[in-house]
Amino acid sequence: MMNKINNKKTSLYLNILLIVIFAAVITLLDTNVIGDAYVRRILNLSAIYAIVSVSMNLVNGFTGLFSLGQAGFMAIGAYSVAIFTVPLAERAKIFYITPQNPVLAQIELPFVAALLLGGFLAALVAIMIGVPVLRLKSDYLAIATLGFSEIIRIVFTNIKSITNGALGIKNIPTMPTMWVFFGIAIISIGFMRLLITSSYGRAFKAIREDEVAAEAMGINLFKHKVMSFSIGAFFAGIGGGLLATLFATVDPNQFYFPVTYNFLLIIVLGGMGSISGTIIASFVVTAGLEILRFFDEPLTLFGISIPLFRPGLRMVIFSILLMLLVLFFRNGLLGQKELSWKLIIDLLSGKLPRKKTGEGGGVQ
Amino acid sequence: MKRVLSLLLSLLMVLTLFTACSPAASNGEPEAEEEPGPAEDADVIKIGVFEPLTGMNGGGGLQELGGIEYANKVYPEVLGKKIQLVVVDNKSDKGEATTAVTRLIEKDKVVAIIGSYGSAVSIAAGDIIKNAQIPAMGASCTNPMVTQGNEFYFRACFLDPFQGKVMATYAIEQGAKTAAVIMQNGDDYSVGLANFFIDAFKNLTGDENSIVDVSEFQLNESDFNAILTNIKAKNPDVIFAPSAATTAPLIIKQARDLGIDALIMGGDTWENPAIIDVAGEDAEGIVLSTFFDENDPATEEAQKFVEGYKKELAGKEPIIPAVAALGYDAYILLRDAIERAGSTDGVAIRDALRETKDFEGVTGIINFTEEGDADKNLAVIKTVKDGQFVFVDSVEVK
Repeated sequence: MMNKINNKKTSLYLNILLIVIFAAVITLLDTNVIGDAYVRRILNLSAIYAIVSVSMNLVNGFTGLFSLGQAGFMAIGAYSVAIFTVPLAERAKIFYITPQNPVLAQIELPFVAALLLGGFLAALVAIMIGVPVLRLKSDYLAIATLGFSEIIRIVFTNIKSITNGALGIKNIPTMPTMWVFFGIAIISIGFMRLLITSSYGRAFKAIREDEVAAEAMGINLFKHKVMSFSIGAFFAGIGGGLLATLFATVDPNQFYFPVTYNFLLIIVLGGMGSISGTIIASFVVTAGLEILRFFDEPLTLFGISIPLFRPGLRMVIFSILLMLLVLFFRNGLLGQKELSWKLIIDLLSGKLPRKKTGEGGGVQ
Repeated sequence: MKRVLSLLLSLLMVLTLFTACSPAASNGEPEAEEEPGPAEDADVIKIGVFEPLTGMNGGGGLQELGGIEYANKVYPEVLGKKIQLVVVDNKSDKGEATTAVTRLIEKDKVVAIIGSYGSAVSIAAGDIIKNAQIPAMGASCTNPMVTQGNEFYFRACFLDPFQGKVMATYAIEQGAKTAAVIMQNGDDYSVGLANFFIDAFKNLTGDENSIVDVSEFQLNESDFNAILTNIKAKNPDVIFAPSAATTAPLIIKQARDLGIDALIMGGDTWENPAIIDVAGEDAEGIVLSTFFDENDPATEEAQKFVEGYKKELAGKEPIIPAVAALGYDAYILLRDAIERAGSTDGVAIRDALRETKDFEGVTGIINFTEEGDADKNLAVIKTVKDGQFVFVDSVEVK
C-alpha cells in the first residue's frame, strides 16, 4: 500500500521534471543555444509525423478500422494552408500557366485559420466518404480508403485554377519557432489521449475487440466509427498543413499513396493501440533515417576505403533494423501498453513478468 | 532473452548517437569539423551535392552525379585549395530533400550546393538555400519556379519555355501548320513543356486554331488508342508529346500502328536508348530536342569533356547522358564563380555568378538571366535513323 502511494508521488515529480526538461530543451533549441537548423528541422518533422501517426493509430489501433487514407487527408490540410496563406502579391507568379480562381486569388487567411480550415475540410470529407465506406470491414475498408486518397490526389492534380495542378504551390510562409510544431503536436495528441480515455474511447476499444459484443452493449457502431474516422482525418489534415509550412511548398505527388505506409510503419513499430509508442516510433523512424546517413558516406578505416559504404546503404540497414524489431517485438515497441514510469522502473530492475502475451488484455 | 535484447538495442542507440555526433570522422577530415572558424580557414573547400540516388528518380540522379564527380576529377582545386564534394541522397522526397540540404549547410558547412535532378525537390530546398545565403546551382531542374524569386538559386540548363519554343520553331521550319499535343497529367515537366510549346506555336503561326488537339493521360497509362484516334481524325502535321522515356515508345508505336504519319516530337527525356529498343522500327524519324550532342561539341570544353568522359564511362553507358554534361557544367560554373569571387562567402559567390559572362561550358556558351537561369540560345535537335540517335540541327532562338 505504502509502495503504491510512493510510486504515484514519484511519478508526478518525475512527470513535472520531464515537462520542465522538455520545455527547456525546446526553448534552448529555439533560441539557437544548442543544436542547429538541421536538428530543429528533424525534430519538427518528427513532431508532425507524431500527430499524423497518432491520428492514424486512433482509427487503426484504437477503433480497429484498417484505414489507409491518411495521405489524402493530409493533402487536404496541406493545400488549405498552401492556397490561403501564400501572400497575394506572389500568387500570379506561381499560377503562371492557369490563372488562379479569381475568388481565391483575393483571399488570404492567417496561418492558424487556414490550418483549422484544412482540418475541418478533411473531417468533412471523411464524414462524406465515411458514411458509405465504413460499412466495409478489414481489407475491403483498406482498399476503399486507399482508393479515396488516390482520388484526392488526382482531383488536386486536375483542378488547376485552385491547386496549380502538377506544378505545385511554393512560397508558403514558414514558421519562425519550433513551438508552433511542438505546441500543436502537444495539443493534438493531448486531445486524442483525452478522447481515448473518455467513454467514447472505451467505446472505440470495445468496437476494436468485438463489434457484435459492443453493439449488444448498446454502442452505436456506426456513429462511433464515423466519429473516430473523422477525428483521425481532422488531425491528419492538421499534420498536412504543418508539413506544408515546414517545406514551404506542396505538390500532388507529395501525397502519393506510399506516404501512408510511412505512418503505418510508425504505428506498427510503436504499437497498434499505444500513443506513447507511436510518438517514440515517429521520432525514432524520422531521426533514425538521418542518423543512418553515416552509412551513405564513404568510410576509410586504417587507410582502406570500404566499398560497401555508398549512397543507399542506410536504406538497407534501416530495413534490416525494422525486420529485427518486428521479429522480436511482435506487437511493436509497446504493444497496447502506454509508457509510464512504473513500466520504465520495472524494465530497468528486470521485474517485468516473463510472459508478455498475458498482459494488456487485448492481445489474442 | 529480453534483457539481452534490450541491452543490444540500447547499445545500438548509443552507437548511433556516437556516429551522429561525429560525421566528419568518416570523411577522413576530422580537423575541418573541430575547427570552429569559418570554412575558408580549412584546407578544403566543400561543395554539397544533393541528388536523388535512391527512390523514383534514382537513375537520373546517379547519371548527373557521374558528371559532377568527373568535373571534380578534372578541376579538383579552386583558390589553391582542394574541392571536396559532400554527396547526400534526397530519395526523390521533399522531406528528405529539405533535411539533406539543411544538413549540408549546417553540419558540413558547404560553401555552395549543386542539385537536384527533379524540380520538386529543388523547389522545396530553395527556401532553405535562400535563408542560409548559400548559392546553389541546379543542373537539370527545368521548372521555372526553381529560381523564381530566389536570388541564390541558379541553374545550368535551359528552361521549359525555351525548349517549347525550340520545338515549335523547328516544327514550323519543317512546314507544319497544325499540331496536336499530348501531355502527362500530374507531371510538372510534361505539363510545363507542353504548355510552352502551345503558346509558342500559336504565336509563331499567328493562328489561334493551329493547335488542333490537346490530350492528357495519366501516370502508368499504357493504352493511347483513344487519344490517338481522336488526333488522327483531326490530322495534324505534328504531334508533340513530351513524356517520360517509359511512356514515349508506347505512344510512338501505337500512333504508327493507327497509321498516323505525322511528325512525332518530344523533349530531352526522349534521348534514351530505351525508346529505340521498345519502339523499334516505329521510332525512325521521331524528333527531340536536347541539351548537348557528343558528336557535335559546341565548345572546346565540350570536346575535352566528351573525350575524357567517354573513357571514364568505358562502355557503362552507350551515350553520354545529357544530364551528366549539365552536372559537369554546374560544377565548373560554380568553381569559376568561386575563383572570381576570391572568397567562399555566399553573397560574394552569388555576385560572381551573376557577373558570369559568355562562360564556355560543355552545353554551350552560358550567361545568366535576371532570375539566375542559364540564358542559352542553342538547343540540339536529334532524330532517330537506323536505330541510332543522329544529330539534325542546332536551333538558335532569340
